Amino acid sequence: MAARILIDRFSFRYGPDLPSALAEVSLDIAPGSCCGILGPTGAGKTTLLHALVGILGRHHPDSIHAGTIRVGERTFAPLPDEILFPKVGLVLQDPFVQLSGVRDTVSDEVLFTLENLGIASEVAQSRVAALLRELGIDHLASRQPSTLSGGETQRLALATMLIAAPEVLLLDEPTSALDTSAVERLRQIIESLHSRTTVIITDTQIDFSLPLADQIVVLDAGNLRFDGKPSDFTSRMNEFGDVLPVRGWREALDRLAESSAMQSHAADLLGKALGKT
Amino acid sequence: MRLDISSKLALVLLLWVCAFTLEWFVSVPLLVVAAAARYLVPAFRPQSHRANRAFNKFLLYSVAILVLLTALNALLMPGGDILFTLAGLKFHHDGLMFGIRTAARLLLLSVSILIFFISTPLPDFIRFLQQKGLPSQLVLILLLTLHFLDQLPERINRVFVAQEARGAPVRAGVFSRAKSLVSILSPLVLSSIVESIDRGTALEVRGFLVRPEASLVRVQARQKLNPVSLTLLLLTLGVLFLFLLRWLLAF
Repeated sequence: MAARILIDRFSFRYGPDLPSALAEVSLDIAPGSCCGILGPTGAGKTTLLHALVGILGRHHPDSIHAGTIRVGERTFAPLPDEILFPKVGLVLQDPFVQLSGVRDTVSDEVLFTLENLGIASEVAQSRVAALLRELGIDHLASRQPSTLSGGETQRLALATMLIAAPEVLLLDEPTSALDTSAVERLRQIIESLHSRTTVIITDTQIDFSLPLADQIVVLDAGNLRFDGKPSDFTSRMNEFGDVLPVRGWREALDRLAESSAMQSHAADLLGKALGKT
Repeated sequence: MRLDISSKLALVLLLWVCAFTLEWFVSVPLLVVAAAARYLVPAFRPQSHRANRAFNKFLLYSVAILVLLTALNALLMPGGDILFTLAGLKFHHDGLMFGIRTAARLLLLSVSILIFFISTPLPDFIRFLQQKGLPSQLVLILLLTLHFLDQLPERINRVFVAQEARGAPVRAGVFSRAKSLVSILSPLVLSSIVESIDRGTALEVRGFLVRPEASLVRVQARQKLNPVSLTLLLLTLGVLFLFLLRWLLAF
């Protein structure tokens, strides 16, 4: 079951002499939706994800913070100080680091997460096999994780979290090291999670998040600059030219429009062809 | 003879106790036996070419360490007879014996731990520690440390290549390499720390530290010690007992 996330005037500062990493950020992310958090480096995207999963509260107990965070039915004031696994799953920016390094095969690497949950081996094996099939990496089940390509490692990193069936899935810049085909595969996987899991994606690019997201958030130096629907974001996109590469995004939007026009044209042709048969 | 991880660890413990308690004329043969075990005992065969290369290199360096340590002590530590004089330098008996004792002890400690790690895959060792019920925090620290050591040669090479690309003469010779060590040290340390923190975080968010007490992977922890491990542990206790007895009788 997907969880709702409510963040109310949440502020965070790593130390008294350091600038605010997040300043009075308020967000309401609907259960089962996909939220894209966009912004340049240092905007506070990763800090927000770490706050939601519980790393921030656990690793920085002496930090300065205020506000509240609510994940599903649990409210934390101001933030969780325990790791919220398996309720919340986080896939780090570098998928290679996500892997434990202590399992010989892809299948065992995914199984490792279930071992941590104490799930019986027989049940776990079949769950792992089903998930690897769903993610299209079942043919890699007996491969060594260190021999996988970037895209395959990204899918494996995702599998290590999805196997725990988290209510909220956090993806920290998931496309930063992927080629075009791997990005497309990842997009399909995230689309398949819609309504089952609340997905939050941080990104510095628009191409990946915009077509997927139900909600777009723009962060800039810890401040919330925009929170709304993707259509509202695209109509006001020029306002964010100082923090985001809008020109490149415009081109990306044109490409997206072209791609969806081509897809709809292809669908029409296919429909006609099927109609004839 | 069955030599699983617990038996191998028991053997390492026995060799460590021997290194600290027994005289050099026992330590040196033990050192030879431990080094030979890598070639003769299947359980101590290296698990990869890299591990094999590391062990062979270590053997080569250990001969140099043995000679250097013994010679320096014989030269710098006066006492006992003068064994011989070379180009005006006097080599003393007591210093020579101290050098042999220290080198044998150091090398026995190193070789015993090395034959364990070259022959034991990291995943197997970590699984073994988890099965034995070691606290997750401790296993996490060990895992990150061993992973770091495992990745170190590759990481050093990467930093060397990066420095070379910036024009640093890192491969020009031994002196240049030694000099460039200073410049690779900070990126090496920093990148290692960052990666260790990230890997630790990743393991934490995968529930590594909250493994349930009754986890099924711990069932094997309740198995009895196998006869080989038991014999080796009894031998270790025997050596310790004899050492204590000899120490008490000396008074």
